[in-house]
Amino acid sequence: MKTKQNSVSKWTSFIFLLLLAIIWVVPLLYGVMSSFKSNIEMQSVGFRFLPINWILTNYSRLLQNTSNTPVFRWFLNSLVIAGGSTILVLVVTSLSAFAFSRLRFKGRNTLFYFLLSTMMFPAVMNIIPLYKIMTFLGWANTPWAMIFPAATGALNIFLVRQFMDNIPLAYDEAARIDGASDWQIFHIVILPLVKPVLYVVALFTFTGSWNDFLWPSIVFSDINRMPITPGLKLLQGMYVADIPTLMAGAIIAIIPTFILYLVAQKYFLQSMSLSVGVKG
Amino acid sequence: MEDMLNTAKTAENVRTKSRNSKPTKSHPLYYLLPHLIIFSIFFLIPLVFGIYVSFTKWDLVRTPDFVGLENYKNILFSNSIFHDQLTSGLWHTILFVLLSVPFCIVVPLLLAVALNTKPFLGKFFQGLFYLPSLFSISAVVIVWSLIFNPNYGPLNTLFHLNQVWTGTQPWAWMTIVILTVWWTIGGNMIIYQAALNGISKDYYEAADMDGASSWSKFIHITLPSIRGQLLYTIVTTTIAQFNIYGQPLMLTNGGPNGSTSVLMMNIQQNAFGSGQSLAGLSSAMAVILGICITVVSMVQLYLLRDKD
Repeated sequence: MKTKQNSVSKWTSFIFLLLLAIIWVVPLLYGVMSSFKSNIEMQSVGFRFLPINWILTNYSRLLQNTSNTPVFRWFLNSLVIAGGSTILVLVVTSLSAFAFSRLRFKGRNTLFYFLLSTMMFPAVMNIIPLYKIMTFLGWANTPWAMIFPAATGALNIFLVRQFMDNIPLAYDEAARIDGASDWQIFHIVILPLVKPVLYVVALFTFTGSWNDFLWPSIVFSDINRMPITPGLKLLQGMYVADIPTLMAGAIIAIIPTFILYLVAQKYFLQSMSLSVGVKG
Repeated sequence: MEDMLNTAKTAENVRTKSRNSKPTKSHPLYYLLPHLIIFSIFFLIPLVFGIYVSFTKWDLVRTPDFVGLENYKNILFSNSIFHDQLTSGLWHTILFVLLSVPFCIVVPLLLAVALNTKPFLGKFFQGLFYLPSLFSISAVVIVWSLIFNPNYGPLNTLFHLNQVWTGTQPWAWMTIVILTVWWTIGGNMIIYQAALNGISKDYYEAADMDGASSWSKFIHITLPSIRGQLLYTIVTTTIAQFNIYGQPLMLTNGGPNGSTSVLMMNIQQNAFGSGQSLAGLSSAMAVILGICITVVSMVQLYLLRDKD
């Protein structure tokens, strides 16, 4: 009786999921397929899922463009920005988390909760002065304009500290008896043990930076310096009558995070339960 | 000899230090400073300065000119165009929050419940529903703009319709909400899945003994067991949707007739758009939006708090 009920709910669930999965996958696949169609085919054929003639010219046109929509350039800029942000965040976050987890100093908890509570303020309140600061430093239209703000967040410190707190102090003590300094304990003992949470922080920093839209569209006015996410907005204006090329642009922009997801799906999905264990 | 003594002393010091595990005072700062410096320059100072300039007349170039509450009077109580921008922009933002947040909670909850029965292809479905949240809003809007395209979009060509989806209401709001739900539910779904996984099977077995229906099990066991996660996702989702910007900017361009133009678009336009920058006034709008977001999440936390 019970197993029968179970398998009924299993199949009801399956059908429900399948129906929604179609809604989830069709727009994406239709976009991918359309990026291989010619504009003439797009405009004359009506509804058709697969291209009649598969062409790659939409992609090559975009990647070869060096004037008004340098997509390849944008792609490289994004790689530099997202990669740089990831490195800086990893360094800054793990150092801070180590201090909050392992070192004793006056006002440790006060400082920690102060940092966390500032995260309540919505980003909208500081973008205007932040723009002024970036132009003052001469960093508008440079990767620094995105790399440094990426490393301000306290939530990453919170996550990594939480993870470090779970490592028994006995490890530190053992290392200390062998004469290790704090610095050695940090990078020889603790860092290797918190690798899983660092992967999570790295993946989220990279995708977050790659996908950021509002801030880079404010701070980048130079078309050759901007990353691809705000670049797509320009592309949309430029190829308003050439949908297949526009689709190719969007597909190029999502390839890196898509690949990261295929490679490291485990960490992406884990991270959510990580943050929930913490905040839920 | 003295050297040797010194070395011995230092060694002794190191040993006592480690026994009491009291590192030197200067130590923690080396670890904290990189973050604290970056945090101060690129978060804290702009935040404080942003509140200050909301009380000034400022064009991003000259020194801000203190004008007291003038910006706030202007946008809150006058008959100016900025008052209209604030009221309609804020109203459209709130409308979007009201329209989208329920779906951004209920849809992933249903998905998580379905996935929790461990159905065929469950892992694949989970991966698929999570995938769009890894894409940028500009890429997502471009992909969906083809679906809703009045001339060549599959929605019209397949069903032989002639609807201008993004250019007429209520469709314009529906397209924005559908796109948003498609884009954002992955994270909440994973959170609910983890929560459902943690509920002990005993509760359900006991309820089965009493002949409880699946609906009453869902209401009386499942929902109370995951209330912490529900609260967390309701607050974070509301905050996220209050920041709506890319969807109306790129999908409907604020139209038709400004009916989907949201406050973030006005803030961005007034501060960084063409023509004279109104950064002070724009900051005042940002502060009001910030206050709204903070107040709403406080109220949610209060209403949904654990009453025990």
